[in-house]
Amino acid sequence: MVESAPFIRHAEHVMGTVVSFAVVPGRLSADSAMHAIASACAVLHQADATFSTWKPQSPVSRLRSGMATEAELPAEVAGVLELCEEVRKASGGWFDPWSVPGGVDPTGLVKGWAVEQGLAVLRSAGADAAMMNGGGDIAVFGSPGPGEAWRVGIRHPWRADALAAIVEVSAAIATSGSYERGSHLINPFTGQPASLAASATVTGPSLAIADALATALAAGGDDALSFIAALADYGGYLIRPDGSESDTGNIAFAD
Amino acid sequence: MKHAPWFVFAGTVAGLVGILSFHTKPATSAALSGSAGHASHATTQTGSNGQQAPPAGVRTATGTTEQYGYGELAVKITVNGSKITDVTVPYIQTADQYSQQLAAQIIPTLRSEVLSGQTANINGVSGASYTSRAYAMSVQAALDKLNVK
Repeated sequence: MVESAPFIRHAEHVMGTVVSFAVVPGRLSADSAMHAIASACAVLHQADATFSTWKPQSPVSRLRSGMATEAELPAEVAGVLELCEEVRKASGGWFDPWSVPGGVDPTGLVKGWAVEQGLAVLRSAGADAAMMNGGGDIAVFGSPGPGEAWRVGIRHPWRADALAAIVEVSAAIATSGSYERGSHLINPFTGQPASLAASATVTGPSLAIADALATALAAGGDDALSFIAALADYGGYLIRPDGSESDTGNIAFAD
Repeated sequence: MKHAPWFVFAGTVAGLVGILSFHTKPATSAALSGSAGHASHATTQTGSNGQQAPPAGVRTATGTTEQYGYGELAVKITVNGSKITDVTVPYIQTADQYSQQLAAQIIPTLRSEVLSGQTANINGVSGASYTSRAYAMSVQAALDKLNVK
């Protein structure tokens, strides 16, 4: 029986949720791996400080309130807003941080973006493999064990004791849903609460983009799914409010 | 329907898995460490080394009452040997009815995730996000009382 590689695990409270780590250290010593995890956590906290819409003095809050212009803010703010614009177009407008009252809100993309930045720290530190789960939005690289893929369960939207599916993930997976606590999924076209999806999952190479596309899919349902299907590297898996399902045909569902 | 639901006694939110350091394979290789109140810095290593025989028998413990975002709660866990067999919330106090509704939604989810983290052959769960801090800490506190290794 092959033992799975031992993980170094860590859970960090940041961005209003828990970001958990499972790191296969490979050639890294345990100390080096923990140092890399600490560096990744610093990246997460920095992202929170920059992008939080709950902290009135954060750069994004100052942008929203008109106290600062985009040009006066850290460069990563402009970078994230550019990504937001890309996803807005790619999603047919179903992800639209500019449609919400109170000024631009990139929250739907930022958590995935921040986790992706954190994972890059672990990768460049030389870890063999790692998974970071930012409260349900997951980015991975490498293999959790010899010949193994990272296996991610997708929470069933209604049955807390069930998974809707298990997916083998090579880079990123994000899920959004109307069961989300404090969810304020809004149809960007009507401004009304969205109710076209019970659960919306997106896989792909970038967690920032997958996170935003999952928000789009949750708001837009089938129409958003058709936009995701047109993106070569991304896959979508939709559970509708009536329990029926569709996917784009390129998600690695496990048996 | 293409995908039959996976019923899990087991699932896993990696947030809790991280905090509780469950191994997703045999329950006997689960290692639990860290202390309640410090879970945000509880970095632990799990692996196949250094296993000790778990205490035998069914035991229960209730964790400390913890503040969470909308009130406070305590968590009771039941273990058989080193395997968590049940998670309940014997005490919850919320500020208003809306918070109670939130709690009613969150607790079963977290419960299944705590249980599932032990047995499902998965590395994590993707789902809509929530805040699990107080709950997880309280679970950790209960686990610490039981000295589950």
